Amino acid sequence: MSTFSGLSTALSSLTAQRQALDVTGQNIANANTVGYTRQRVDMQSINATTVASMFSTPMGSGEGVNVVDIARLGDQFLDARLRTQTSLSSYHNSTATTLDRLESVVNEPGGTGLSTGLQQFWAAWEDVANSPEAPATRTALLGKAGAVVNQISDTYRSFESQWEQARTEADAMVSQVNSAARAVADLNQQIRGVLVSGGSANELMDKRSELITQLSSLVGATSRPQEDGTVSVLVAGNPLVSGDRINEITVQGSYVMTGALAEPPSATDTVRLSWASNGTALVLDGGALAGTMTSLQPSSLGGPIALAVKAINDLATQVATAVNTVHTTGTTLAAPPADTGVAFFSFTAGMPPATGLKVAITDPTMVAAGNGTSGAWDGSIADQISQLHEGVGSPDQSWRSFIVDLGVTSEAAQRRAAVSEVTRATAENLQRSNASVDLDEEMTNILAYQRAYQGAARVLTAVDEMLDTLINRTGLVGR
Amino acid sequence: MINRVTQQTIQRTALTNLQRNLTSMSTLQGKLSSGKELQRPSDDPSGVGRAMAMRADQAAAIQAQRNAADGVAWLAQIDTALQSSIAALRSARTLTVQGANSGSMGQTSRDAIATELDGIRDTLLDLANTNVNGRLVFAGTSSDGVAFDDGTGTTPYDWHGVAGAGVMRRLGPDATVRVDADGQAAFGVGANSVFQLIDDIAADLRAGVEVSGRLGEIDTHMNSMLSTIADVGIRYKQVTDTQKSLELTVQNFTSSISGIEDIDLAQTILELQMQEVAYQGALGATARVLQPTLMDFLR
Repeated sequence: MSTFSGLSTALSSLTAQRQALDVTGQNIANANTVGYTRQRVDMQSINATTVASMFSTPMGSGEGVNVVDIARLGDQFLDARLRTQTSLSSYHNSTATTLDRLESVVNEPGGTGLSTGLQQFWAAWEDVANSPEAPATRTALLGKAGAVVNQISDTYRSFESQWEQARTEADAMVSQVNSAARAVADLNQQIRGVLVSGGSANELMDKRSELITQLSSLVGATSRPQEDGTVSVLVAGNPLVSGDRINEITVQGSYVMTGALAEPPSATDTVRLSWASNGTALVLDGGALAGTMTSLQPSSLGGPIALAVKAINDLATQVATAVNTVHTTGTTLAAPPADTGVAFFSFTAGMPPATGLKVAITDPTMVAAGNGTSGAWDGSIADQISQLHEGVGSPDQSWRSFIVDLGVTSEAAQRRAAVSEVTRATAENLQRSNASVDLDEEMTNILAYQRAYQGAARVLTAVDEMLDTLINRTGLVGR
Repeated sequence: MINRVTQQTIQRTALTNLQRNLTSMSTLQGKLSSGKELQRPSDDPSGVGRAMAMRADQAAAIQAQRNAADGVAWLAQIDTALQSSIAALRSARTLTVQGANSGSMGQTSRDAIATELDGIRDTLLDLANTNVNGRLVFAGTSSDGVAFDDGTGTTPYDWHGVAGAGVMRRLGPDATVRVDADGQAAFGVGANSVFQLIDDIAADLRAGVEVSGRLGEIDTHMNSMLSTIADVGIRYKQVTDTQKSLELTVQNFTSSISGIEDIDLAQTILELQMQEVAYQGALGATARVLQPTLMDFLR
């Protein structure tokens, strides 16, 4: 036991308490910082020095206190849970958003949707059947037919622009993923450097953890901590980041909807993800990008936009075929040979049916209302066409069943999104309740460290006084 | 796991709850301001399916109403024309009976009767060529302008209609009704027409031939007109009955669609008010909970 060991013991306490106060200050400073994980100074008592000799009987007290670590009070299991839930929730949310947008485009139910347009079109045929002699009814019919054709192609265009938007989003997300992965790899490198030199990399780890959660939200990434302090980020079982290296992902496929949605799916045009290094296909199991990729798929692979596009194309074909089949049997008011076999609708070659559909006749007299045998003012063919909306497999019914299908799918997707959001919020709450700063707790810590610091200072004073007595007051006998 | 509670978690929870309250308030306000329970297919897919099918049926019923109103105009016109034709034919018969009284009547009187009969023939021909908005009711699908030629042409009293063809009005998906009348059946064609008959009688009267034998022929024509008018009457009743039931159908569809698509105003307002109270409560709680920390008590 050295005479001055008391001083050094007190000093060690002063240093340790001050450091602890600094860390508390850092915690309070970051009370509202997103992604910050609270820290705590881990102190350890220093045991008494023992002399390595036989029969040595050290009777001294310990040598003070030592800061062994500034611990980051995160819980990697809670982090992992939050990431899993985030990836699920983002996926469901992205799917629900796609369907929600589709719903806004179709504008049903109500008086302005395609179904109303079709009803008016059929009603116009019935008016022609009632008064085939009046040019007004025929002109009105051509007007209504034009309106339906426009509505069909407008709906198709809206679907197309939604697809193109999703395609752009896919590109943006992929570059976001790659840059986030690059940032994680950089942080891995820095953290490894800091840890090797014995420093504290807690703030860097917070940043990295935030980035990994962001990656989970984008591509459903999971993380695996390594022994050297780095973290491997896995996507669909393969490493996106390992140590300071990354594997970039790319999105491939056409930017033109008709090519990308071709049936059967084209090997080159279908939009798909792959690893940049070796071109291996990447199938995501979560994250917003997975939802976006699903929405870009052809209908045989379950793409919701593709199904909507197919429905509108089918509708165009169905209306045109059904009307033409009956119309070509009718007789127009024109002179032979233009009096019969006239098609009402036609398609522009090389275009999708929904946009290629057009009314083939412009002259009202070319509307074939009669059957040719029952007199010039016969309206039986027009009447027959007006009834095409009735029955199973009619264009109206197919459209209706598409709308109901869309509604059911969207409702289910919204419910899944809501449920997974609740689960995610719970996981986030758990993660935060563990990692976030509690000001009351920090206040209490301030008190504790302050008092301990005061105590240590008092010990220092006491030892100083003792030594003063020893040095200055002893040996003065008889002086 | 027992949660550690920190300012941040309280803040988050409060925010999430506020957000949830506000979302349901916005949904309710959207419903209230639009008056619609169903705004998009996912609100109630099966309801939307039903509402759309009903709208289609309603549109068909409204169109059928228009068709029926048009049909009624045709049938009413035919009925009037036939009633007048029968009245004209009756006076023709009376004149024929007069003309047949050969003993008490001189040739001058007979000539006068013949002239009068010519007038009746013209009246009948006029009635037979009755039209509705330019369409001939006794030759419905014809575009020729007249249902019957007059007696001067190469084909006297020829009918311009197409046998077996009728003007149909649709009253429902499976129901159509014929709204014109078969002029051939009502008036006869060419040599067998009622016009030719009256011409013949007039000619006979002028020539001094006995005409009492013609009365039977007049009766035959009268009977065929009567049977046509009976047939028209039956169809007229059918159309007007359908009109009444269509009115009811349209009303029923309107209220059914409204029942599916529209909100219950009282209920929605009540829900909105409850939601507002909940929101205010949440706001109050949030304002309270985020105020004090230990710092307020440490001096």
